[in-house]
Amino acid sequence: MPQVKIIAKNFMDMVASLPAIKLDLLYRNQFICEAILRSLPPLAKKYVLQMLYIDIPITSKSLQEWLLADGSSKHKVAIDRLIQLRVFEVIDRKKETTYKLNSTFQTNLRKHMISGGILPREPIPQSVTARLPTSEELDAYAHEQWECFLLQLISSGQAKKSTSFSSSMMRIFQRGLLRQRDKEAPRLTESGFQFLVCIMKLMALLPLFCVCGLMDPYTDKLNEGKIEIGSLSWPLYLNWKTLMQLFFCHFVARLFILCSDFHVLVQEQGVDQADLIAFLLELSFHTPGEAYSLDTLTDDQTTMIKDLADLGLVKLQKGRKESWFIPTKLATNLSVSLTDSSSRKQGFVVVETNFRMYAYSSSKLHCEILRLFARVEYQLPNLIVGAITKESLYNAFENGITAEQIVTFLQQNAHPRVAEKIPSVPENVTDQIRLWETDLNRVEMTPAHFYDEFPSRDVFEAASDFARMHNGLLWEDAKKMRMVVMAEIHMLMREHLRGQNK
Amino acid sequence: MGHGERGRPNKKFKFAKDDHRGSAMEDDYSFYPDEADDEPCDGENEGKKRDFTNLELKLDHGNRPLWACADGRIFLETFSPLYKQAYDFLIAIAEPVCRPESMHEYNLTPHSLYAAVSVGLETETIISVLNKLSKTKLPKEMIDFIHASTANYGKVKLVLKKNRYFIESPFPEASWLFLVLKKLLQDEVIGRARLVSENAQGSDGFTISKTAGEIESGHSGLLMESELAAAAEEKETHAFEIDPAQVENVKQRCLPNALNYPMLEEYDFRNDSVNPDLDMELKPHAQPRPYQEKSLSKMFGNGRARSGIIVLPCGAGKSLVGVSAASRIKKSCLCLATNAVSVDQWAFQFKLWSTIRDENICRFTSDSKERFRGNAGVVVTTYNMVAFGGKRSEESEKIIEEIRNREWGLLLMDEVHVVPAHMFRKVISITKSHCKLGLTATLVREDERITDLNFLIGPKLYEANWLDLVKGGFIANVQCAEVWCPMTKEFFAEYLKKENSKKKQALYVMNPNKFRACEFLIRFHERERGDKIIVFADNLFALVEYAMKLRKPMIYGATSHLERTKILQAFKTSRDVNTIFLSKVGDNSIDIPEANVIIQISSHAGSRRQEAQRLGRILRAKGKLEDRMAGGKEEYNAFFYSLVSTDTQEMYYSTKRQQFLIDQGYSFKVITSLPPPDAGADLSYYHLDEQLALLGKSLTNSTNQVLTAGDDAVGLEQLEEDADDIALHKARRSMGSMSAMSGANGMVYMEYSTGKHKLIGHGQNKSKPKDPSKRHHLFKKRFG
Repeated sequence: MPQVKIIAKNFMDMVASLPAIKLDLLYRNQFICEAILRSLPPLAKKYVLQMLYIDIPITSKSLQEWLLADGSSKHKVAIDRLIQLRVFEVIDRKKETTYKLNSTFQTNLRKHMISGGILPREPIPQSVTARLPTSEELDAYAHEQWECFLLQLISSGQAKKSTSFSSSMMRIFQRGLLRQRDKEAPRLTESGFQFLVCIMKLMALLPLFCVCGLMDPYTDKLNEGKIEIGSLSWPLYLNWKTLMQLFFCHFVARLFILCSDFHVLVQEQGVDQADLIAFLLELSFHTPGEAYSLDTLTDDQTTMIKDLADLGLVKLQKGRKESWFIPTKLATNLSVSLTDSSSRKQGFVVVETNFRMYAYSSSKLHCEILRLFARVEYQLPNLIVGAITKESLYNAFENGITAEQIVTFLQQNAHPRVAEKIPSVPENVTDQIRLWETDLNRVEMTPAHFYDEFPSRDVFEAASDFARMHNGLLWEDAKKMRMVVMAEIHMLMREHLRGQNK
Repeated sequence: MGHGERGRPNKKFKFAKDDHRGSAMEDDYSFYPDEADDEPCDGENEGKKRDFTNLELKLDHGNRPLWACADGRIFLETFSPLYKQAYDFLIAIAEPVCRPESMHEYNLTPHSLYAAVSVGLETETIISVLNKLSKTKLPKEMIDFIHASTANYGKVKLVLKKNRYFIESPFPEASWLFLVLKKLLQDEVIGRARLVSENAQGSDGFTISKTAGEIESGHSGLLMESELAAAAEEKETHAFEIDPAQVENVKQRCLPNALNYPMLEEYDFRNDSVNPDLDMELKPHAQPRPYQEKSLSKMFGNGRARSGIIVLPCGAGKSLVGVSAASRIKKSCLCLATNAVSVDQWAFQFKLWSTIRDENICRFTSDSKERFRGNAGVVVTTYNMVAFGGKRSEESEKIIEEIRNREWGLLLMDEVHVVPAHMFRKVISITKSHCKLGLTATLVREDERITDLNFLIGPKLYEANWLDLVKGGFIANVQCAEVWCPMTKEFFAEYLKKENSKKKQALYVMNPNKFRACEFLIRFHERERGDKIIVFADNLFALVEYAMKLRKPMIYGATSHLERTKILQAFKTSRDVNTIFLSKVGDNSIDIPEANVIIQISSHAGSRRQEAQRLGRILRAKGKLEDRMAGGKEEYNAFFYSLVSTDTQEMYYSTKRQQFLIDQGYSFKVITSLPPPDAGADLSYYHLDEQLALLGKSLTNSTNQVLTAGDDAVGLEQLEEDADDIALHKARRSMGSMSAMSGANGMVYMEYSTGKHKLIGHGQNKSKPKDPSKRHHLFKKRFG
């Protein structure tokens, strides 16, 4: 089983970590080129567009001349990113670094600019599909699938529809997010907690889906085949976009980190990781809510789409003759980049000075997340009542969740009723959470060796002096001639003692 | 620490089975014994009963303030527009579990429903109002529970009218109620006690009369109009008379363990023509505050006086409530307090708030044996004086005889939470009273005795919300802090030794870091803010050591009444006396309105009540009202510090102790950096040799078997309030187990050693070790 080497932070990091050949293969697809372009930091986007019709390499010096005085750090980020993604090819010539756009990327992006993207498949006309789910229904479906999936991740046995996930896939995801000790129930890892917390933010925003969905210019522009660059000035759009960015930053990245493993499994079925990425990116250019025939997919893609359906990215439906898939909004926003993360969110947690916690939520997922660090006592239709206890926190700490994460979580999700107060979470509670954590860190472990039965006091004293000289003496009892010495100098000590014996 | 870390045990369903608790409580010295004792019901409840997600949410749930769970737990949003009404209603029907800022929790218990019924709420009213306030449909279990609990309560009343006792039951409400009286009569005891009157009117010879309905309209906004009308109508009642001599027996028969028709006691004082009136009115300047009015209205809701308990935080003006009640009833009043000092204070309060003439009020303590003149008056005395069973002086015997023979209009009992049930029984059986009013700040005890109060005195009539009073500026806004003092190396090493297991308390109390923190705080508050400070220490050895070292006056059990008065007077008036040291004699009743800082250096294990009582010493609001109100100038005007030595039992106890206050919405801020590291030799015990000397003192003394801090039990003080102390003492010693009923998930009272306690008074000064051979081994080296 290959080890995961690159810790990708978001989807595009994942793409960037692909080998060069794979990347070049990817760039043959126009949609992927567009998706990559969108994912870039603004300055990088500008460079790409400016160089799109330039066929000769450009020196890094002339690139720098475009910069304002304060832009050098952004410039560096942009260039790094472009090189990582192999959008820029670096050519060192006469001691001077020059950049050139990846030719495959360049050609395809040019084509795409001029002609607009043409998807390999057209939506199935209404006459065939009869009634398709409305946008609300589709969102609800995506939401449900997604939550079900997450629930399944943290607690086996809670989710109702647990059977719908193929166990191999579940296992793969769990490997990344959960840690299972022998004979114990699986537990969430630190990154798993982070992941869930991010997802939480999204869950709080889900009601926005419907509102934004109606006004989303994104799909319109896509239908017209235009490329959407820059100016993201519509606040609602921005919000929604941020939401999706968060989503993909955290979800897809995790998902694809795990893909290194996933990859191995699917390979048995002949699916390649690059294919998967290509397919996902392509999927993001479909119109949500439209039906696309399954027949237009390759065999590999057909395999993949079933898993994606489990995650709520697409909905599969069967007509009389044909089967089709309907991309949900989750799928169509895969390629959005993370540029700013200011998001408006509705908190739901009230923490009281007596360590009781009231969460206005009916989500099982919320409940499970709270359970990670608090004792849930009552569950009501729209309220979860819990208590933050020493035991529950120790549990959380043991799972690698930090006090800071918990405090941040509580603060960020503070119910509007208490959110405007300062502090939104009572000080004594946050202090205590931190104190409990530091309490656990009071003992420091130092690997060491214990020496006793010294033949004579001289030997003992020489040895203790020796150890002290090397800053390795941790403890000594001169009366009984015993000492504890740090493990690092154990070898030295042994030599020293041998020397003495002679 | 770990406030609120344990869910409160669910009292409700534990009505008859409180046996499985106690056992874990006997050994209070395991380090963190909280696993076993706190949540025995957790296992049974978790998962099964506490998932109420299936309750049907009403469409307009956003406008309704509360959730009700099938197990009796109720959650109330304090930011709801209906909060005030809902709060008044819930406090009448349910027991508050915790009341922090945004969300309150309550428990429906048989007792709380009993209390509800006794203030005139009826079963159907309770259910319908609750249903109106609830965001969800009421769980069926809760409705059933309310029905079951209220079926028998409040159906029978014991009324003293014109000096004849009647057992009364409202008649036409439901015909089966009629059967209640019949059923009672079928009982042998009650049947015999009945007096058949000649002018009987009813079919079975019952007297039929009319009683005024509830005039209270607190919940009117929530009730249907028809219900209101019904409440205001005069009600026809049936009654039969019983033999006054048999009253106690009849009451006994009606208790839950027998016939289970607990009787409400009401006193129709307006129609009492036999007992002479007492001429007393509230003075015009005595303006009861809104919550005081409310508590009084619960007591006099239907024109008669009900017996019961009123719970108000310390400093919120309990005495005014007591005096108001007495001036409304206008009959002879017997007022019971816990000690001589508070007897003086009560007498003073009576004169302050009411127009009572001096000759009509008298004190009866071991020091002053007065008698009032005329045929009605107020007697202020202590529980011990009345309940004392031993031989009395001739003079006291006479007074007691008078107390016994008089029919008291009102029996006013202060600090009911501290007095053991036995003493109550005794006091109540000795004195004949028409109406009993208990006053307290904290209706929690670490033993099961709270339950008894319900039937001995009456239900809880009213309980104020601490935070609301703080917001209203009626009591001080206290900043509570827990100061973590790390043990010094040497002290901790001794602490961990097995042979020192009995000296642990001495070690963590005498921890030099604690001393330094205390000294620092005293200095800071005296010099920087000009505050008046009380330092509390339960451990006498520590009290003496601290006070001596810091040269401050102290009061403890053995301090004479005269000296106490002198010290308190100096503290109140002198500019030079800003700090006093108090042992636990200062916990209750001593009124020191000037103090606004408390430093607690040692305390009585895990007693939540003690913590609350102590806080109460500084709750009396000071300064201008507008400054104190929420948003006023001074955010905090009082400070409560509890010093604990880290990594010792104290940490565990302090968590327990704070629970009550935390439930009232207080929060304890943890301070870890006291004294400031740069304090240096400014504060005492900076140098190691000083610290070691202190350590030696704390340890060696115990080997001499003289009274010292050494033995934990000896270091604790036994209160010696009065000469008639024995009854109190005995009662205390018998306490040992806990019950789920009282919500007492704290620690037990410690057992006291009777023999050693005699040494306390005079043993103090002998405590310095003299014999070098008995020096602690640490010091042998140094001295020898």
